[in-house]
Amino acid sequence: MQYEILARPAASVAKLSLSANETITCEVGAMIAMTTGIAVETTSGKKGGSGGFMKGLKRMFAGENYFLNHFTAQAPDQTLIIGPTMLGDIVHHDLRGGSLVVQGSSWLASETGVSVDATWQGFGKAIFSGEGLFWVKCSGQGSVFLSSFGAIYEVDVEDEYIVDTGHIVAFEDTLQFRIVKAGRSLIGSFLGGEGLVCKFNGQGKLYCQSHNPPNFGKLVGPKLKPR
Amino acid sequence: MSQLDFEISQRPDFAIVTVRMQPGEKVYSEPAAMASMTPSLTMKAGMKGGWKKALGRMFAGESLIVNTFSAETAPGEVLFAPGIPGDMMHYELDNNSLYLQRGAFLAHSEGVELSAKWQGAKGFFSGQGLVLLKAHGKGDLFFNSFGAILEIDVADEYVVDTGYIVAFEDTLDYKVVVLPGSRPTKTIKNFLFGGEGLVCRFSGQGKVWVQTRYVHPLLSWVYPFRPVKSKD
Repeated sequence: MQYEILARPAASVAKLSLSANETITCEVGAMIAMTTGIAVETTSGKKGGSGGFMKGLKRMFAGENYFLNHFTAQAPDQTLIIGPTMLGDIVHHDLRGGSLVVQGSSWLASETGVSVDATWQGFGKAIFSGEGLFWVKCSGQGSVFLSSFGAIYEVDVEDEYIVDTGHIVAFEDTLQFRIVKAGRSLIGSFLGGEGLVCKFNGQGKLYCQSHNPPNFGKLVGPKLKPR
Repeated sequence: MSQLDFEISQRPDFAIVTVRMQPGEKVYSEPAAMASMTPSLTMKAGMKGGWKKALGRMFAGESLIVNTFSAETAPGEVLFAPGIPGDMMHYELDNNSLYLQRGAFLAHSEGVELSAKWQGAKGFFSGQGLVLLKAHGKGDLFFNSFGAILEIDVADEYVVDTGYIVAFEDTLDYKVVVLPGSRPTKTIKNFLFGGEGLVCRFSGQGKVWVQTRYVHPLLSWVYPFRPVKSKD
């Protein structure tokens, strides 16, 4: 599979070139346009697989859709253009064994050699991380495409690093994080608008996003008509 | 050779067009598109083409009113920008037609006519309204999007999600279909659960412009953040 990321960083899309029989699994609703030699299959688990009920359910809790769409090229040289909902960037991560832990709504697509599963990060993180209850865990071999709200920047964590809640896109599972208060005192932390932050430690790659989706929602929502 | 002396800048996120006008020239835009202009130009709002054309525009998701900017005695410049951050395209009409999605029209030069085109059942199923805006004639046309605009040269066939279509040339034929699956039962499942719903299948030879973002999914995302109506 060849890929190209266009219109970065605010309106980015991934343009994928598939050879015959190549499959890419995408988030529901990600397809923008494609050539006609591609067949689509909607399942709750792996392509062609039965079951996957629990997997789908867990994914739903992770802020993703219960279903997945599998796009398979039926002929050579097929093109598929995919993009996320929010204004923002897309990055490509090449998995070579190992795992990538992705914030719920940031997973966009991955190759079939990558398994996409929900993972539980513990109660503290579920409540205070500003992300979903579950996270999406991608493991195996192949390409993973991540999307963000705003721009994406990469941090190579060597030892320790602090990210504000709501700004995590994904991290390699060689990293762990804990929820800690931002400042020395708890009151000071909240007055400073930072409150709780995620403190990473270990060695690995961390992807962050420049904007915080829940903050944007809280800014816009109250100005709209009540539902 | 385009009629207007123009330049599109700040693509693809905040596209804006600058039109430099000579005495006697006119340019037409949708209401509220003008961002700034030199005082040498005059602006007039009106129902261009009479009330029939105006109603047609309204059914095609645009405004009844079209603003006319004219340079009467002195040259000047005017800048147009759409209401939503995104991209902009220029298309030169040469006695052919282009179809525009609801809300995509921004401005045009003299010689271009806009009319509504009834889409029949295709429009009904595409979820994009029953009527498309048709631009025809000879002159310059500017249209805009949410997100960036990608230009696709259709040589044979192409599938585009209905929500992402910005414009297409009338040499293309289109059908609204369910996203094709590998088996009929799969196709039904795709339709019900796949989230892509209906797609437009273009065939023939011509260009189609797609936008990289769609407003509706973003609105659905914002929905849970709206205040809840209090029960008295």
